[in-house]
Amino acid sequence: MSRSLELAEAALRATSGDEAEVVVHAERSGVARFAASIVHQPTLIENSVVRVRVARDGKVGWAATNRVDGESLTNVAQRAAEAADSARPDPDFPGFAPPAQYPDVVGYDEETAELDAADQARLAGAAIEAAGDIGLYGIYTTGVTEVAVTSSTGLAAEQQTTDAVCLCLAADTEASGWAERTSWRAADVDPAVPAREAAETAARTRGGVEIEPGMYRAVLEPVAVGDLVRWFSYDSMGAQGYLEERSYFCGRIGEQAFDPKVSIADDALDAANLPRPFDFEGTPKQRFPMIEDGVIKGVVWDRATAARAEDGHVSTGHATPDAWRFFGPLPSAYSMAGGDAESSAELAELVGDGIYVTRLHYLGIVDPRGGVLTGMTRDGTFRIREGKIAEPLVNLRFTVAMSDVLGEVPGLTRDRLLVNLNDLYEERFAHAALVPAIATAKFHISGAGSGPGL
Amino acid sequence: MKALAEAAVDAALGAGASYADARAVSLRRQYVITKNGQVDDLSDSESEGIGVRVLVDGAWGFAGAGRLDESGARDAALRAVDFARAAPGRHRTNLAPVEAHTGEYRTPLQRDPFDVPLTEKVDLCLRAEDGMRHEGVKVTVAMIRAQREHKVLVSSEGTNVEQEIYECGGGIDAYASSEDVSQIRSYPSQHSGVSGQGGWEYVEQLGLDREAPRVGEEAAALLRAPVAPSGRTTIVLSPDQAVMQVHESVGHPTELDRVYGTEAAYAGTSFLSPGDLGSLRYGSEHMNITADSTTPLGLGTFGFDDEGVAAAREAIVERGVLRGFLSSRETAAQLGAGRGGSMRADGWARMPLVRMTNLHLEPGEGSFEDLLADIDDGLYLDTNKSWSIDDKRLNFQFGTQVAWEIKNGKLGRMLRDATYTGVTPVFWGKLDAVAGPEEWMLFGLTNCGKGQPGQEAHVSHGAAHARFRDVEVGVSA
Repeated sequence: MSRSLELAEAALRATSGDEAEVVVHAERSGVARFAASIVHQPTLIENSVVRVRVARDGKVGWAATNRVDGESLTNVAQRAAEAADSARPDPDFPGFAPPAQYPDVVGYDEETAELDAADQARLAGAAIEAAGDIGLYGIYTTGVTEVAVTSSTGLAAEQQTTDAVCLCLAADTEASGWAERTSWRAADVDPAVPAREAAETAARTRGGVEIEPGMYRAVLEPVAVGDLVRWFSYDSMGAQGYLEERSYFCGRIGEQAFDPKVSIADDALDAANLPRPFDFEGTPKQRFPMIEDGVIKGVVWDRATAARAEDGHVSTGHATPDAWRFFGPLPSAYSMAGGDAESSAELAELVGDGIYVTRLHYLGIVDPRGGVLTGMTRDGTFRIREGKIAEPLVNLRFTVAMSDVLGEVPGLTRDRLLVNLNDLYEERFAHAALVPAIATAKFHISGAGSGPGL
Repeated sequence: MKALAEAAVDAALGAGASYADARAVSLRRQYVITKNGQVDDLSDSESEGIGVRVLVDGAWGFAGAGRLDESGARDAALRAVDFARAAPGRHRTNLAPVEAHTGEYRTPLQRDPFDVPLTEKVDLCLRAEDGMRHEGVKVTVAMIRAQREHKVLVSSEGTNVEQEIYECGGGIDAYASSEDVSQIRSYPSQHSGVSGQGGWEYVEQLGLDREAPRVGEEAAALLRAPVAPSGRTTIVLSPDQAVMQVHESVGHPTELDRVYGTEAAYAGTSFLSPGDLGSLRYGSEHMNITADSTTPLGLGTFGFDDEGVAAAREAIVERGVLRGFLSSRETAAQLGAGRGGSMRADGWARMPLVRMTNLHLEPGEGSFEDLLADIDDGLYLDTNKSWSIDDKRLNFQFGTQVAWEIKNGKLGRMLRDATYTGVTPVFWGKLDAVAGPEEWMLFGLTNCGKGQPGQEAHVSHGAAHARFRDVEVGVSA
């Protein structure tokens, strides 16, 4: 039994007979953040957070602490009970998750778990060295997280995961390029590889020029695809947005809304993603298709939204960590099917005349129901001419309907990249998107920004 | 807590650090959220720990331990030193001098928000929700939050300060939808409302239940409203939207760490350069921006920042010219100007970063009606709905929850799905009026993200209605 599960069991005992659930989220991590090829913000974190949810007569209250002595666990249980007493009965409260059989998943690597501050600094140094003369900006980080869930239903679940992420921006005042690698095994993340890729992309971005706003055909690299899918999902692929009628999927389930080559699932069981056996309510993970062959199949659910729907839905295992509770259930192991193209260069041939986008920046949801997003391109935007990647462009503002972007997809790469989606806020929750590069027939450029570079 | 912070600093110096500071932090947060007449979230969380920051041979190291005991403090100090020692690169870190303060700061308040019974908070939320019910409104949400942060900062240069900071806030949202349109209307601001530094009296004066009927009606009315037009026109931003404009297009680009590139990979850089200080024309002569960590009720108000620099009020833009940056001791030393004073950390487990404190668009003169009177044809834009800006903080695009057409100096029809876009110094150059002090309002945001690992800062901004000429509006997909 892990220390986190022991803590969870101890906190559950402290609830003294209440209907209760305890989630322990523990982390030991190091982030070597570098800029201008110098590690300037190194951060080491060790912490365990205990969250107690108590239900009394259908009234539910939460309390949390990172103090883990016996007295503090009693105190947090009492505060959760007081919160429950102050609530109103929730007729839709579904109760806590029952014990379950969990799928066997990988996702923990002892060698990754053993990496310490000196290793993280050394591996950041390897990225910096590989970038050569151009400045490197980004992070190298590894972490171990434990999640344990216990409840008065008899549920007792624990998982230990590792992750390693290397994010690289190679840049000077006139050029910038991006590349990244993520895995649950640090051995799969050679920091020199994204550093070299970023430097190579940056070298091609000098002298970026503007283009006129308008609709363009485009190649989107996996990093850009992952960001678009994630932002589209916030309102559209979770049950909360669906029940509250903000989702693009409202009224469209079963509809052929996208190109038949587009299939997007959430798959935390896939060893090529960041695997997890259960969600933050202790419900088993499963592969869940949101879009299959261009047809909208459904949204992901947790126990509360499934109960609220009152139409037979059950949790699909997508209860989120506490920091995301505001959004309701969401995917966190996105998996987009690849296609036949051997490379992004082959996608450029399919596009013929258009633009090539490496990375996006600061996305915003303009119209959730319409699936309209805006944002900027950065760190590797190019013109595509006669099927070849051509001159560099400045950063471009895009305002796109996802029904356009995914509506006609001339091709996708066979290879997929695991794109980091974890911005490392709150407790560490590694999550990612396993996505290909795609070609799209419609990508609306609505303005131009600054040139590449710092 | 003081003894632990002192022990951590001693341990770091003993292990070879040339500089060390330690922040011992105890944080408590409470949320009450109701949705559609049910309690959606009623939570009470606490977190405590110590964060130790060190310089070893010019390299930074930082480690946080989630426990307030002697072994945690010492352990964090030694791990921070180890990390700094291992950091690759040629390090050269200078810090601007700081007076070694030994003071205290506490939020002035009338009623401790944690003394207010949870049932009273639930009742207020449910009352406000009741007020928003209206045909077409499918979802109503009300939220109240409270936070208390007790922290001690000790440094190897003699800083030894203790602060206890209270925040309170709340807000309401009404989501309306029809077959193919979804709209939101919020009060006092977007999504999670607003917060201020103070006691429960801050929440009471918001009048959430008083404003609820208007919010519900406007959300429903938006379903029937025409889509806002495209083209170039004169716009008036409400104080609520103007503060968002200040935050994104003035606050972030004047953060000196962004100017020097240390945020480049994540949050981005800035279109400003160090040499722009004192000469760059940021906007029109009506543009006056002040950073003020002494503003009453401001979320960025403190006695001392997280490097121990005392709070102050400083000009950032005067009559349209760049006069200051938001800085740390390190970036101030790099610039050779300023003293720091904007370093803030999100809890004990994060290293302080250059953050906004309270950043205001100073008022001009006249009323909202005076601003409208001068407009034959334009748009009045209120309450942010979407925001996006490029990595240098130049090209932005904002959407607002609601717009009203302005015709012949008066407000006309309500419009939905309004957006406007621009390039920062060009846009601010078109500012031709800011309303007077009687219309100046303070808004506190709790979701300003930056850094890796990510940190959320709580910042306040004040503004009055502001008028901009010849702005591109109505960007669509």
